Amino acid sequence: MSLATISHAIQSSGLFTAVRQSEIFYPAVLATHLTCIAIFGGMILMTNLRLLGLALKNTPAAAVIESTRIWKRIGFVIMVSCGVLLAGSHLDKYYPNPYFQLKLTLLLLTGMHGLYFHRSVYYNASLDQNGKLPLRAKIAGASSLILWLSILTCGRWIAYYDDPNAIASLLRKLASLV
Amino acid sequence: MIQGYDVSTNPLNTIEWLFAAMECVHIASLALSVGMIAMVDMSLLGAGIKGRSPAQIQRATEIWTALGLMIVISAGLALFSSDPLRYYYSPTFRLKMWMLLAGLIFNYTIHRKVALSGSSPLIAKATGAVSLLIWISVIFGGLFFAFTAGGY
Repeated sequence: MSLATISHAIQSSGLFTAVRQSEIFYPAVLATHLTCIAIFGGMILMTNLRLLGLALKNTPAAAVIESTRIWKRIGFVIMVSCGVLLAGSHLDKYYPNPYFQLKLTLLLLTGMHGLYFHRSVYYNASLDQNGKLPLRAKIAGASSLILWLSILTCGRWIAYYDDPNAIASLLRKLASLV
Repeated sequence: MIQGYDVSTNPLNTIEWLFAAMECVHIASLALSVGMIAMVDMSLLGAGIKGRSPAQIQRATEIWTALGLMIVISAGLALFSSDPLRYYYSPTFRLKMWMLLAGLIFNYTIHRKVALSGSSPLIAKATGAVSLLIWISVIFGGLFFAFTAGGY
């Protein structure tokens, strides 16, 4: 069975057909996805700004991380659920889309990012000792920022992709700008 | 509406990737502005950062909220300029603008005052909830406008 057949079978299932055909449900899920970017994405952004030593300087980074953890988790679950509904209902179109593939790859990388900095940053109660954040905290913040902004950009570009040579032509355009 | 303005000369319409890039700026700065306001809201609702009062969160985030709002509104104006009439005549877009105005006024009056003054828990919670609802409705307005007006 090819990927195309599997994708088509998934998007033809009851739930995904209902999402696709409803005039209100699809935009409502997308709006919820966007709301999660604003609220929970905002928390990730703030955590990263704190790790970089730019925002909330009077609050220990460990306290920012710990207090927002539960909300980020809830947000992530809602976000991924929305994403599954959105992509699942048009899987025929999504799976061959290179920006969709890149977005999934980057999401996987953020998972690895979290694991990599798990002990040294995200679950490190003595992160703020000496009153100065270690370099690895800054690296964690900066790389998380870059990863999430790239994910956001890929997400938006998924909607505009209709040309199999889009990435090649985009790269050519970028090259011509330099 | 604007005499002699030809949308086809707008860079957002002539440069293929610019509109999408501007949308990315709009969404990222949305996360900055509304995200920071939401942190104050969470704090007012009693679910903020441990050991930090709403007033402390308000003071620490104020500058970032202002920066985020400036960028998100500037990018929004740029997106608007790509096809002003389509936006102007959309009831959904108009509703979004009214909610945005309400959000901005609320944020810099009642919301700010309540966060800084340490009001009673009931008033604090109500303020946080109203603020979240206003901003969520702005976001929904934007998205539904894109769908009802043939955007994506």
